[in-house]
Amino acid sequence: MKKLFLIGFKDLTLMFRDRAALTFMLLAPFLLTVGMGFVTGRFSGGSTGLSDIPVVIVNLDQQDLGNALEELFNSEDLADLVEPAASSDPEAARRLIDDDQASAAIIIPAGFTDSIIPKDESNFDQSFVESEPVQIEVYTNPSRPTGAGIIKSIVDEFISRVEEGRTSGMTSMVGLMQSGLLDPQNLEAEARALFENVEETESTAITLKTNTEGTEAVEFDLLAYFAPGMALMFLMYTVSYGGRSILAERAQGTLPRLLITPTSNTQVLGGKVLGIFFMGVAQVGILILASTMFFQVQWGDALGVVTLILAAVFGATGWGMLITALARSPAQAGSTGSAVMLIFGILGGSFIELEQFPPFLQTISKITPNAWGLDGFTTLALGGTLKNLTEPITALLIMGAGLFVIAVLIFNRNGMVQK
Amino acid sequence: MKKILAIAWKDAIIRFASPSELLFFIILPIIFTFLLAGGTPQGDDDNRIRLLVVDESNTTMSGQIISELENSTAIRPEVTTRDEAQSQFDERRASAVLIIPAGMDIESLQSGSAEVEMLQQPNNINTTVQERAVLTAIRRVSSAVSAAQNAVVQREAKQPFDSDAEKQAYFESSLELAQEIQNDAPERVSIVEGTTPDQVEYDPRANSSAGQLITWVFIPLFGISALFAGERQGGTLRRLLITPSSKATFLLGTISGQVAMALLQMLLLVGFAIVVMKLNWGREPLALFVILLASALAAAAFGTTMGTFIKTEGQASGLSIMFGMVMALMGGCWYPLELFPAVIQNAVKVLPTTWAMQGMLDLVLRGGGLIDVLPEAGVLLGFAVLFFSVGVMRFRFE
Repeated sequence: MKKLFLIGFKDLTLMFRDRAALTFMLLAPFLLTVGMGFVTGRFSGGSTGLSDIPVVIVNLDQQDLGNALEELFNSEDLADLVEPAASSDPEAARRLIDDDQASAAIIIPAGFTDSIIPKDESNFDQSFVESEPVQIEVYTNPSRPTGAGIIKSIVDEFISRVEEGRTSGMTSMVGLMQSGLLDPQNLEAEARALFENVEETESTAITLKTNTEGTEAVEFDLLAYFAPGMALMFLMYTVSYGGRSILAERAQGTLPRLLITPTSNTQVLGGKVLGIFFMGVAQVGILILASTMFFQVQWGDALGVVTLILAAVFGATGWGMLITALARSPAQAGSTGSAVMLIFGILGGSFIELEQFPPFLQTISKITPNAWGLDGFTTLALGGTLKNLTEPITALLIMGAGLFVIAVLIFNRNGMVQK
Repeated sequence: MKKILAIAWKDAIIRFASPSELLFFIILPIIFTFLLAGGTPQGDDDNRIRLLVVDESNTTMSGQIISELENSTAIRPEVTTRDEAQSQFDERRASAVLIIPAGMDIESLQSGSAEVEMLQQPNNINTTVQERAVLTAIRRVSSAVSAAQNAVVQREAKQPFDSDAEKQAYFESSLELAQEIQNDAPERVSIVEGTTPDQVEYDPRANSSAGQLITWVFIPLFGISALFAGERQGGTLRRLLITPSSKATFLLGTISGQVAMALLQMLLLVGFAIVVMKLNWGREPLALFVILLASALAAAAFGTTMGTFIKTEGQASGLSIMFGMVMALMGGCWYPLELFPAVIQNAVKVLPTTWAMQGMLDLVLRGGGLIDVLPEAGVLLGFAVLFFSVGVMRFRFE
């Protein structure tokens, strides 16, 4: 057992002496985590990365509803989300979008309010059809799809409220007229009263209960997803780097030397595996610690985090051994390791959440330690504990053990560590 | 010229000596483009955000809510069972689930007890859009009932009803009228996508295609540093000293060879995007060539400068991948730049990846031409001049 640990610690020490490898294993995932922090708004205090969406408003209506929409975009409620600018020229506003200066332009045409709030009796005729509805134009920037989508949804919601108010006002007016309870002399005044604040209509017939109103509202730190996502991606590089050392030692002749000492093949191979495992644990551990120190990431249950790191590194070590067993040279192991790192990174959800993939890719992602590891870290960040991690930990342990057995069979077949 | 070509050819042979290089040259870029483009589907496809809906009511009202959701421009409802929805939600494969509980009917709406429930993943950008769309849908379904109730109140204020039956009849006729008014309501918002007079067919997947192209071409170009470091470590640069070849010849040969390979890689990736993903890359071939060449030169120049600071090939390989990935992320190649805080959006203008991405988006998303990409190409060439100057000044054979 002592020999096993000695070989393992020797490989770990060598890794810490290799400044280039250390930079890649630690600095790269750390910097990418910082970048993801910016994207997700983690460092700007927002729940998402999107804030101060630039929008240009051209209010040619200058009446109740046009003004109400302009006020909505300038309201306190949307102060953090949007950054409105007023313009009086539709063409200039469109040019700003074409020049990528804003996410969208909202052009409220003249007569918009008049098209909704009726002025005379003809508008209450059920057979009355608006010849050409006056439409608000939302001119969107195709290269800012998210911001433009949010602007669209705000305008949609406003129109929905207006439409609701209009339906209510019209229904009341027509009903009263048909009942002969409306004095034609007072029609305009009555209509104004019924259509007053039409955009503020709030329907209460159906209420929406969101889960954040429930008892189990959870604050989820997005970095608790992306930081381990990046760490797990670069873990795949680390395990292949460790595996590469077996091939390098054989090429340099230090492996045969080790084999002529009173050390069994199993001890040598076990020591190398332990070395890879130590490297992985050190890498992920340092990254988790750094994220905690620099960004105050809330990881959840500490025992669960430690167990999950050990299981994830074990699963990844299995892959590292398989890559080593299949490679013919250290360079081949290196390039294959980098490729596997990137493929597992994207398949495992380090770049985009698995939800966005088609179902068959979500199934394929299960072969990666990244997907299981991230599943576990997310569970912990959402308030889970070690007992909720049975599935990912079991999967990672089975993955590691299974791949290790396959790697040993290939090693034996190739006579890699034969005396 | 012959020497320059010989050096470029030698580098190509060394680079492609291992078949695994093809992985990074074309296979991985295609896999990444394909997978990341999956998040931004093709224009013809339904690219609305998916919302799982559990209809436990199966009434006309619940049907109307689903129908309104189907009309949404932002979300796409997918009706499923509660178990399936809960399972997808728990596994974070669904960002939100809308549950319409049993008993959603006109009576529950009249009494104000009707309620729908929405499960939302925390801190998920899609849930904001989904919640707004659901509110719009239930408001539309509610509004007819609310309008009828309001009409009853208005009528009662003018003249009380003689009986409950009359009141109910008035409510029902008002509800019918309100639904009619609602159905006849015209579209009051038109969505126009920023465009050019020639009506280019835009596709948001172009964003992924351009971003991955930059990522996978910039990394090997930064790897020029590894070529220099490797030759210096192996002593082959010193051997060049005894040949009648100048420093400029060596640098030109190495850099032009890598830039030519980068252009080939770019053309293959653009070809893939045009043929397989049906993206409109080929609309302005000259502008495309200008921006691709300027991008390649800027990246090659950065790699040259890196090569004069880095001592070993191992260091160079790791740092090339690290700089490539970080610059791609921060330059908006993986996620739209609009998601970054304003201060970062300005700060990342010092990166060549930001300008390369903007230039390519001008072409494929904003329908620009040669004139439109000239500013970005100019900045990229400025980067190239700056970094080549530093690289050439610092370059040593030993």
